[in-house]
Amino acid sequence: MKQLTLICMTVASLALLSGCGDKPKSEAAKYKYSAAEVYKETCLHCHGNKGEGNPEKKAPAINKQSIQELEMSLFDIKNGGLGQSTASEHEVMEHNMKKLAEKGYDYDIKVMASYIFNTFNISK
Amino acid sequence: MKSDKIIEEILGEIEKHEGALSRRDAMKLLAASPIAAGVLAGTATTTEAYASSDAKGKIVIVGGGLAGIATAAKLTNKLSNPDITIIEPNPHSVSYQPGQTLVAAGVWQKSDITYDTANFIPKGAKWIKEMVVSFDPANNKVKTQSGIEVAYDYLVVATGLVLDFASIKGLEGEIMSSASENEVVRKKVGKNGVYSIYFADGAVDTYKGIQELIAKAKAHTGSEKLQALFTDPATAIKCGGAPKKIMYIIHDLLTKAGVRDKVELTFCPSGDKMFGVPEYNDAIFEQFKKRGFKWEFKTNLVAIDTDKKVATFEYKWLEKGEYDEDLKEYTMIPMSKNIEKKYDFIHITPPQKAPDLIGKSPIGSSKGWVPVVKETLQHVTYKNVFAIGDVAALPMAKTGGSARKEYAVLVDNLIAVMEKKEKLPAAYDGYTVCPLITSLGTVMLAEFNWTAKPTPSFPLDPTQERWIWWLLKVYALKPMTIYGMLSGRA
Repeated sequence: MKQLTLICMTVASLALLSGCGDKPKSEAAKYKYSAAEVYKETCLHCHGNKGEGNPEKKAPAINKQSIQELEMSLFDIKNGGLGQSTASEHEVMEHNMKKLAEKGYDYDIKVMASYIFNTFNISK
Repeated sequence: MKSDKIIEEILGEIEKHEGALSRRDAMKLLAASPIAAGVLAGTATTTEAYASSDAKGKIVIVGGGLAGIATAAKLTNKLSNPDITIIEPNPHSVSYQPGQTLVAAGVWQKSDITYDTANFIPKGAKWIKEMVVSFDPANNKVKTQSGIEVAYDYLVVATGLVLDFASIKGLEGEIMSSASENEVVRKKVGKNGVYSIYFADGAVDTYKGIQELIAKAKAHTGSEKLQALFTDPATAIKCGGAPKKIMYIIHDLLTKAGVRDKVELTFCPSGDKMFGVPEYNDAIFEQFKKRGFKWEFKTNLVAIDTDKKVATFEYKWLEKGEYDEDLKEYTMIPMSKNIEKKYDFIHITPPQKAPDLIGKSPIGSSKGWVPVVKETLQHVTYKNVFAIGDVAALPMAKTGGSARKEYAVLVDNLIAVMEKKEKLPAAYDGYTVCPLITSLGTVMLAEFNWTAKPTPSFPLDPTQERWIWWLLKVYALKPMTIYGMLSGRA
């Protein structure tokens, strides 16, 4: 009988996994500062007034990247990697970002990517 | 009826395994169960769903794996006048890759996961059995190996990714698809203690390799343990759970053979965590501790000497530098050094990349992967081009479970583009699922999305290892994928 129950549950799983009821549940996170404020108070010190970067601080230019590249990079930095367990491609910035987030300088990835792109991109 | 086929397949799977229900009992149960009735009704409704769009245009799908065929099938269901061409050279492109772990475990045979693409090409779709060698999105055409130019109105890129064994010094070759040519790679991988479940033949070899390891452990007398290493590279990989699943399986088989104490199992990933979702990360740490696994973070396999059985890892760390007034923090200096490890058995998760011809083409990106808006799957530059599956530049989404969510989104959005609608109606939220095999008989069903939080489909603690998920993995997911997803219905 135990097996009957289990098979029954397997079928139930099938029903659920087949797509009913798993709507995206996104939570709107609250951030202390706007993307512009975060940029001006933190990012700017290394990535520059115009997003031109600073080789001395090993900060790459971010004024040539597409919005999609910016979004992927920011995801990598904040999530500590693009895969389930892969290392971040931005190990130093991943560390810095953790420190910044502790001080309240956190942001939504999409909002920050579009801020950087719309404010600084030079190829537009 | 497709829904019957799914149930039929589940029954078939159950029958194959000892100790499960008899077919008659299972049938009785399925007939009596309101849940099963729900499944049948649910799939039946979609089976009867008729074309909902009269949009026209020639659609070319490059790549006929799970993602490409599921997309083709759903488009065929939804369009009243579908004009679909699939370009795919591999006759077994739809083979069931998630089963490779089970092949290595000896639960399944290779024949259990091999499927003929010919049986899954949707009715009416054209199949060109060739490889695409160039993309010309400005002129809306692609070119195949034999020089045929195929023009399109809409393009779906679903080529999958490349297993880049050659980027590890000491190994050779690349593998385009799990079921395609692999001779060069197999010169070094699949023998002599070096194994990889990332392709179907490799999984078959791994099963043999595990038996050899068990035999070696039984004969082993020294005080030093045999060393088994498990790698996880610095690139995005398909099925992020697999590098660990194979470790759990080997632990289980060694334990059953009574020789677990003779072998040390060490996980050597390039990253510094077990899983990108904190809840699952914690759960995996506990599972590792319980099993006596070792782990060394930030170690990336860069070279291997298969004769001497020595693997070289690049070990990375950050060192505290000067205080930075601007940052109001100490700067961090990235450091690295190579360390050598002897092994008796090593499971290699190869570095993975987009096919070179994609990366170098106008539809690719500097990192190779096809740049898409991650919610809509539409190409960032070419609005009549979409990408899906492993080749798309999407975070945390190189799994069959992701593709299963992506193709419905892609089809709705592509049809909207075909209908000249301005707004794309569907959005992917990054949902993916990793049925993490933690032993032969238990699975942790790790479901999550881009919020990096667990998103369980069931009212059960998702961090627990359960037999029910093992049943799901072994009996239900394959029929669901092969007969549900590949016909565009589940």
